[in-house]
Parts: sequence; structure tokens; C-alpha cells
Amino acid sequence: MQISSLRLTLASVLVVAGLAAARVDLSAHHSFAVFDMGSEKTVTGTVSKFEWTNPHTFIFVDATNDKGVMETWAIEGMSPNYLGRRGWSKTSVKPGDRITVTVRPLKDGKAGGMFVRALLDGKTMLQTGQPTE
Amino acid sequence: MSSARKIRSAAVAVLLTTIGAGTLAVAQQPARTAPTAADWAALAKLPDFTGVWEIGFGGPAGRGAGGGRGARAGGPPAGPQLTPAYAEKRRARLANPPEDSPAANCLPSGMPGIMGQPYPMEFLLTPGLVTIVIEAYSQVRHIYTDGRPLPADPDPKFHGTSVGRWDADTLVAETVGFSPQTDLGQATPHSDKMKILERFKLADPDTMTIETTITDPEALTAPFTSTRTLKRHRTWTIAEYICEENNRNFVDQNGKAGINIKKD
Repeated sequence: MQISSLRLTLASVLVVAGLAAARVDLSAHHSFAVFDMGSEKTVTGTVSKFEWTNPHTFIFVDATNDKGVMETWAIEGMSPNYLGRRGWSKTSVKPGDRITVTVRPLKDGKAGGMFVRALLDGKTMLQTGQPTE
Repeated sequence: MSSARKIRSAAVAVLLTTIGAGTLAVAQQPARTAPTAADWAALAKLPDFTGVWEIGFGGPAGRGAGGGRGARAGGPPAGPQLTPAYAEKRRARLANPPEDSPAANCLPSGMPGIMGQPYPMEFLLTPGLVTIVIEAYSQVRHIYTDGRPLPADPDPKFHGTSVGRWDADTLVAETVGFSPQTDLGQATPHSDKMKILERFKLADPDTMTIETTITDPEALTAPFTSTRTLKRHRTWTIAEYICEENNRNFVDQNGKAGINIKKD
């Protein structure tokens, strides 16, 4: 899923528009209460685990914080059912992958957040996306 | 009379007396007869609802309680219009709202919310029955089209009890008897008098509209109608959705939402 920066920009716009329209629906399983929906944080590190499970996927990323301490980030994404119909698979993210992931951070300041988008190994963009059919 | 026969007669007498006492009489469910070849053939004359459908994002208004007809500027206010008593109930709920709904703990929403999930549903047509297999939370609705009436005194259920009939190419389903644990979304309660009328039809071969009208003489001042549009996805299949598989989200007794971020 390598894409040029132009297509990347367009895809981002589409995803943002899609999320805005789908906001009510995407909150179906739970509310956004624990996430700070008004901010974004970018975490760069190494994937240590990818949970391809319902009702949500989780990417665990080992990243060094600004104090030089290693933290494990837990990043919640949509379900495998939802993402699987939008180009993802259980191997879209693998332990050992270098990842730069943008999240809506947890309000309590702990190392977690809701997935917004990610860049894998500096080249492959992952987004929640639109149906592939 | 032989002794064995006497015992049998006595047993029957006791049984009849017990039934006669009747305090635990079992309500009669309509019996389903074996479908005939003609019954199966008749299905081919119905519109083709079979297969997997999903609500299109960015489609017309009408998801949940927030949308619906009249949501345009200048029209009547969007959302169900509540009677004073139910508006007060809603205000009370919103005065100290939980941060999340019980769905965070994997409790399915029931009707009508279960029909508005960001997951597909599959329609199965068999003689006398339309079955809707809903991927979200692995739920199933049964709409009986065998001519049975709605129950007069239904038990409260998350999906209610549904019967349907074909009005030309439209499936018209009526549903009654909803659990008080369900709501109309956005903290909007309903009474046990709520009825939901759904009109399912094909707008084109791969587009279905579901017009949903909610009436509730105790809770609503007027019927509330909204329409959802679904797209058919011919290559999709319904996937497993076990909410308890790895649910890291929760809402506690005090309404506080949380998330478990510990890597197992």
C-alpha cells in the first residue's frame, strides 16, 4: 500500500471526511470518553505486538519517551472485521516493524491512545480507510 | 380394569387436574408447518434481499436518534419529540450522564440502535420468516411473515418481537415489546408501549432503504421517522464478532469509562 504524497494527502482528506460523517457510528461500541479527541500525538518506536481481535485491534509500540525511558504504548484501532474490509490483515502490522503512529492520546496521560494513522518502516501508510468493495 | 390401567387412568386424571388448575399454562406459539415446494418457489418472486448489506457512511440523515426527516434548516427539530414526562426523564439521565453506555462492556444495544451499527447484516428469506443476521455483537432478528399476529402481552426483549408482511415489493415489519435496557440513543428513553414500524425496500439492485417509524404514546408526542440506506456487498461474508474476545474498554458502576492498556 505504498502511495505518493499527493495520493496520501487526498486519502487523508477522504479519511477525515469519512470519520466526520461516521463519528456516531464509529462510537458504536464505546464512547471517546477516555481519549483526548482535541489533540494528536505522534509516537515512533518498534511494534512489540499486534492484537487482531474484536471488538478492537491493539498495536503495542515500544518507544523511548522524552526522558529517555522506554514505554509501551497501547494503541486502539477499529475491529478486524471493519479493518479487514478496508485493506488490512492480521499481518498489516508485525512485531519488529518500525512505526510512526499518530493517536488521540489518553486523557490520563498514560501511554495509550486511539489510532489515527501510521507510517510503517517509513514508507507504508496505514489508515482506517474506506471499504475496498 | 387392570391395576396397570387403573394407575394409568389415575395418572391421566391427576395430569388433567393439574392442567385444569392452569396457573402455569404455556402460551401457544403458532405452529410452523413444513414448507412446500410452492412455498420455496414463492420466495423467488420476492425482491432479492439476500446477501450482505452495510450502512453507507456519509449517506442520508437518520442514523440513531440524531438524524431523521426534518433535520434540514427550517424544518421541524431533528430527533424524537418527547412528552414532558419523558423529556424530564431524559434531563435526569443527562444531569449525571455515564461516560459510556453498557455497550462498552459488550452489552448489545438492542432495537433500534442495533440496526445502525458500522457493521454489515445479512438477510435470509425462508418460507414464513425473514432472518437478519447482524454482525455487530453477533445478533439475530426474526421477522415472522407467516401471518401470525403480534403478541398481545409480549415479554420485553432487546429486539422486541417482530412480525412482517409483504406490501408489494416492500417488507413491512412491526415490532413490539422492548427491554427497558434499550433506548432511542442519546439518553432518550422509551416506554413499554413503543412500537417500531420498518419498511425495507430496494431502491436499486444493490441499495436498500429502511424507513423506521417509532411510535410511543407515552414517550413521544409524534411518530419519529428516519431512513437508513444500505449498500449490498456481494463479495462480503458476515464475520465472527465476539465482543468478549479482547474487550479492553469498560464502564464501571459509577458510569466512569476506562481502558485496559496492559500488554498481556
